[in-house]
Amino acid sequence: MNKIIVGDQIVKRYGIGSEARQVLDRVSVEIGQGEFVAVMGPSGSGKSTLMFCLSGMDAIDEGVVLYNGKPLSQMGEVELADLRRRRMGFVFQQPTLLRNLNVLDNILLPSLRDNRKRVAELTDKARSLMKRVGIAGLESREITQVSGGQLQRVGICRALMGDPDIIFGDEPTGALNSASAQEMMELFTAIHTEGTAIMLVTHDAQVAARAERVLFMRDGAIASELLLARYRQEEAAARVSRITDRMTSLGV
Amino acid sequence: MYRRIIRRDIARNKLITLTMTLFVAAAALLVALAALLIVHLSGSIDTLMTQARTPHMTQMHAGDLDAARLAAFAEQSEHVEQYQAVEFVNIDGARIRIGEQTLAGSVQDNGFVKQNESFDYLLDLDGQVIQPRDGEVYIPIGYWRDGTAKLGDTVTVEDKTFTVSGFLRDSQMNSPLASSKRLLVSDQAFAELRPLGSIEYLIEFRLRDLSTLTAFQTEYTDAGLEANGPALTYPLFRMLNAISDGMMIGVLLLVSLLVVVIALLCIRFTLLAKLEDDYREIGAMKAIGMRLADIKRLYLAKYAAIAAAGSVLGFAAACALRGALLDNIRLYMGESGNDALALAIGALGALLVLLAILGYVSGVLRHIRRIPAAEALRYGVSQSDKVGARRLRLSRNRLLPVNLFLGVQDVLSRKRLYATMLTVLILASFIMIVPHNLHHTISQRSFSGYMGIGAYDLRLDLQQSPDIAERATAIADKMAADPDISRYTVLMTKSFQVRTAEGTTQTMRIELGDQDAFPVQYSKGGSPQTADKIALSALQAEELKVTVGDPLVLASDSGDVRLEVSGIYSDITHGGKTAKASFADDSGDIVWAVVYAELTASSDAAAKAAAYSDSFPYAKVSDIEAFIDQTFGSTIRAVGQASQGAIAVALLIALLVTLLFIKLLLAKDRYAIAVMQAFGFTNRDIKLQYITRSLFVLLLGLSVGTLLANTLGERLAGAVIASFGASSFEFAIDPLSAYVIYPVLMGCAVGLATLIGTSGSGNIILSEHIKE
Repeated sequence: MNKIIVGDQIVKRYGIGSEARQVLDRVSVEIGQGEFVAVMGPSGSGKSTLMFCLSGMDAIDEGVVLYNGKPLSQMGEVELADLRRRRMGFVFQQPTLLRNLNVLDNILLPSLRDNRKRVAELTDKARSLMKRVGIAGLESREITQVSGGQLQRVGICRALMGDPDIIFGDEPTGALNSASAQEMMELFTAIHTEGTAIMLVTHDAQVAARAERVLFMRDGAIASELLLARYRQEEAAARVSRITDRMTSLGV
Repeated sequence: MYRRIIRRDIARNKLITLTMTLFVAAAALLVALAALLIVHLSGSIDTLMTQARTPHMTQMHAGDLDAARLAAFAEQSEHVEQYQAVEFVNIDGARIRIGEQTLAGSVQDNGFVKQNESFDYLLDLDGQVIQPRDGEVYIPIGYWRDGTAKLGDTVTVEDKTFTVSGFLRDSQMNSPLASSKRLLVSDQAFAELRPLGSIEYLIEFRLRDLSTLTAFQTEYTDAGLEANGPALTYPLFRMLNAISDGMMIGVLLLVSLLVVVIALLCIRFTLLAKLEDDYREIGAMKAIGMRLADIKRLYLAKYAAIAAAGSVLGFAAACALRGALLDNIRLYMGESGNDALALAIGALGALLVLLAILGYVSGVLRHIRRIPAAEALRYGVSQSDKVGARRLRLSRNRLLPVNLFLGVQDVLSRKRLYATMLTVLILASFIMIVPHNLHHTISQRSFSGYMGIGAYDLRLDLQQSPDIAERATAIADKMAADPDISRYTVLMTKSFQVRTAEGTTQTMRIELGDQDAFPVQYSKGGSPQTADKIALSALQAEELKVTVGDPLVLASDSGDVRLEVSGIYSDITHGGKTAKASFADDSGDIVWAVVYAELTASSDAAAKAAAYSDSFPYAKVSDIEAFIDQTFGSTIRAVGQASQGAIAVALLIALLVTLLFIKLLLAKDRYAIAVMQAFGFTNRDIKLQYITRSLFVLLLGLSVGTLLANTLGERLAGAVIASFGASSFEFAIDPLSAYVIYPVLMGCAVGLATLIGTSGSGNIILSEHIKE
């Protein structure tokens, strides 16, 4: 499997001088094309920071992160922005939408940055994505007029607009009720099935059970790794129990 | 603890803190300065009027005077403490020569007086009563100030010669607005000058009790005593003395009000942004049981520190600057004698600014009460913020690039937020455009037509002399033979007595000759084309209370001559009170004569002026540019300087306020910026959005500011111009500078401020804000 992202010996510190706090301690990780990886761990273990470093949103202090073989550190601010806009998608715990824009405009925003002339075509694409994720008809709504679950779907539509190589999700179900979370995970699974790589940061074993590989983090390092193979509904309970067993054994 | 919080906050927001401190300091400076000046002005006027023993009422009177009857009235009146009838020898300005020049161009009625015996003293610069010796003359201080006279100059009236031995303060007529000026000579010299001019009387009274002034005025009128001139009172003298510096203080107060408003707007915006920033912390403080007053105090402490530092700075600057602004008051009226009080009141002014800011901050901090703890803790941002109309849809936008669209859309959807910046930019545009347009208008060659100056190339002025008519003829003869001169005309100015509406007569100078050769612009009616017509300047018509079509009667030895007013024109020359007619007149002396000429296209006006100057050394030869420069060149230059100053101030305000605003906006929008950057927007994209916002607001500000400048500003400027004697006024706008250069300059200031302000936008740590 070709590797989209390779992180090697990543060190990340916050703060400077004597107040510096090391959040990632020589972490090495690889994500293959079309692979679904979940990252688990207690609060403060560095899992979200790892995601931010791998996606180029945060600069690393030591080590290297390669995207399709090219070090992110060699990319300028503009190239990194282009990479995030064109090749990556993001879904966060909070919807991260702009309050000034309605639902449709929020979905269109990053893709219109490059393709203003194709607005009609992109609008059609956005509408079909909305239909697919079950929020058709909400195009003109303000983001304060729709539910949290619907907002997360808006986020997914936005992430899918650019046909990304990989989608990063940081606790995307964290603020949702269980029914909405379940629906959200169905969506992620479907997206993965279509060939998009996914890296998901989560606390939830049910969510992690959808992944092919689970990384367990503790104190800024990867403490363990669990290979689960492709998700099948009938194996869901067994996968969850393997994950919880591993967590128990690791004490996380 | 407060000190630590303040120090840390200031260290984190140096630029914002500095800008706000500067605005507060400017506000405190202006308020303190205005307060200081008011006390000094009032003190100096009191000192002057006490030392001079200014009359409580002065009745001006021209004509015969029954001194015995007046003395009897004063004797019998229970109100009168002292009475005197002062003689004032009014002499035409053209006949008074000081140094190299005459007072012909003086706006004032100039006359000679002797020192009074018991009150209405004319004082020297030490506040002492002047007793001039024979051969000495004391000149009003204003004439020293404007360079008309200097110590040791020779003053001649006919064959009488005096030496300027000093300058005088006149508690009645000090002000440039008082229409007469008294020159003080010895009793002996006064007696010699008396036959040379017309006698006017100042019938003066000091009352036992000033509060009975109104009753006394009624008593005087009822007695039917001499009163064919205006009656002036003690309060009016006070006002006249106060008005010039008072206007400056008024302007200071107005500007200080503007700056206080800008300072408060900036503080409001900064504070609200800070509260929004600290939304979650405020929620947490409320949740753990901190009292509202304690939370407010945390914020108030920082603004109290800024306001206190700004006020102290402003007051110190006011103390340093007051000397320069007090010069004029000291010169005209002497020391105020209440320095300590002035300082105290100045400090009080600065303190008022401080208290106003604290009160305002305290008011803004009431927002804290409305922050729900649970919501603040949970979301970290207010959920009830109203977002304005979002009719602009990105998905329907076919016109603008995405970043430009986002910039414009943000301004339109958060109108209240941008109102602060818009207001300041409207004010800045107004401050920039109005003085510039005024300067451009009065600098125009065509404007001189509105100001009583015809469209000639060359003028030769002949001052009073016995053979003035022959001299004018000699010049005319030479011009007739000069191939470089395409046409010319000779205009003679003579003094006439005109009958006023009140039945009295007054002196009026009329320029006689062909008034259509080099016509001025008439705001009403037209030129006096026949011998029974006369045209008046706006101020003259106003004084005589006549308009076009009204009759005007000239009194002469051979009987009254009835004329009809044919037109009214604006004039700034000769004090604005002039008249033009074309009738022939052989009587009376010529006060002055002017020869106007138009040159052929190829001639050089300056060279021609030099040639005529050589040929006719007794004539003052000037080309039109030189004449305009001499007559109101100083006004044009002063307005030009004020305009440049205003442009600099406007640009500085635009720059500072935009910088402050953008810094705060950036702090407020960190989350939205982080979201956009996370999804692939570059720093350049973000900067472009902010520049679009700034320039869009500037465009609105410039449009509204220009509109206001061309309507309200034109009326304001018209009022200023009217005081020079121009009756009609429209801005002559230079489209290149008013609509291109200066707006572009302001655009550069705003753009630069935005660039500086957004320079830190790339430093936002995405993970911190996205995780919120």
